Amino acid sequence: MSTGPLLRIRGLSKVFGDIAVLDRVDLDVVLGEIVMVIGPSGAGKSTLLRCINRIEVPATGDVVVDGVNMAGDMRDGRLVPDTSVATARKRQRIGMVFQRFNLFAHLSALDNVAIGPHRVLGLAKSEARAVAAELLARVRLSDHAAKRPAQLSGGQQQRVAIARALAMKPTLMLFDEPTSALDPELVGEVLTVIRGLARDGMTMLVVTHEMRFAREVGTRLLFMDGGRVIEDTAPEIFFTRPATDRARDFLTRVDEREHSAAV
Amino acid sequence: MNAFDWSVVWYAVPYLCQGALVTLELSALAMLFGTTIGAVAGLLSLAENVFVRGLVRCYVYFVRGTPALVQVFLVYFALPQFGLELSAFWSGVVALAFNSGGFIAEIVRSGLQSIDTGQTEAAKSIGMTNRQSVLFILLPQSLRRITPPLTNEVITLVKSSSLLSVISISELTRSAQAIIAAKFTPFELYAELAVFYLIIISILAKFSEYVEKRLA
Repeated sequence: MSTGPLLRIRGLSKVFGDIAVLDRVDLDVVLGEIVMVIGPSGAGKSTLLRCINRIEVPATGDVVVDGVNMAGDMRDGRLVPDTSVATARKRQRIGMVFQRFNLFAHLSALDNVAIGPHRVLGLAKSEARAVAAELLARVRLSDHAAKRPAQLSGGQQQRVAIARALAMKPTLMLFDEPTSALDPELVGEVLTVIRGLARDGMTMLVVTHEMRFAREVGTRLLFMDGGRVIEDTAPEIFFTRPATDRARDFLTRVDEREHSAAV
Repeated sequence: MNAFDWSVVWYAVPYLCQGALVTLELSALAMLFGTTIGAVAGLLSLAENVFVRGLVRCYVYFVRGTPALVQVFLVYFALPQFGLELSAFWSGVVALAFNSGGFIAEIVRSGLQSIDTGQTEAAKSIGMTNRQSVLFILLPQSLRRITPPLTNEVITLVKSSSLLSVISISELTRSAQAIIAAKFTPFELYAELAVFYLIIISILAKFSEYVEKRLA
């Protein structure tokens, strides 16, 4: 569907115990937007992403992706909840990349990418592997196709994970702190791949602590704190003229950290 | 103390070999059915359907909570009540398979649950259903962890097959008892019986060691 936003979120909340990790979030993302999500830990950034593809089931609120309600289908004006099989089907076109890569430990890099097209989309094994080989070439890992995850560096694993998500031909990509578990010298290669996707016009939400990257690559920036979106603006504006005290506070602390790291 | 009577030991060898053959047959069949039941029940214990999960839990609860000997008698005497006339041999196979299936179900379940949740989340993220993620992601990864406890279970099963002597199947133990009844030499025969079991179990253990290495 081309009318309306690709992603529409209304009143999304998630509660763990007594704490609202996500507190009535509204968000529209249109095709091609690259939304950077930043904020202190515990702000609800990861939970927001995980509620979009329902790996976490939200307490209340609607998530509509490409016109499809992720929770169920409307019948006679009422929302009929999906079966788990229907939910799985709806997840197919939403790619996700995890902080800890989560590559399938028993499969080669190639088969990590091929298993989705093969088992979920029903492609023949040889076709799925051809698709996978192409995608591994795109993240420049053709030489490592036969290796198991344990034989790859963190940066290589994360690139395989990105290829695995792309193999499902997603309309929307969710990156959950894709470089946070990486050694500093491996961050660059992963960011380069994400930059490439951004250039190709992939719509994405990226939770990140890489401020320079957020500023450079993002077309839009969300600052979250306490389960709410506090600022929703252009990256350039956020980093030069943050509107709220909380954002200023956060940026000062990040600055200090980066300075101390530089020394 | 009487002298150890070696002649009766040699006399018993062919009879015990025959008994051992029955024990192996029984165990192999029970292992086959038991592993099948256990694998299916173990996979189903992660099903989304509450009723299915409950059924598996009841089964495991019963098998764990009652002595194997009681289960053997139950199967032997209960099945005919439901119009199922099985030979003693097949009653024995059913009882052993029923018993080991319950324990194997637990082994499979804990093996599957020991896999990092990130694997399941990744499987979900590419649109796999619960069933697909269990079959294609969790099960292959848990096989190596399942093998050692599964070996233990198979060894237990072979030893438990001696219980079937009570429903007059001429397996290894019963064969020894028959000779004891005729020759009055319990010490010699039970010692010999122990050696027979040791040999069978040792071969099994070697085999499973090999399998474990192959899966590593």
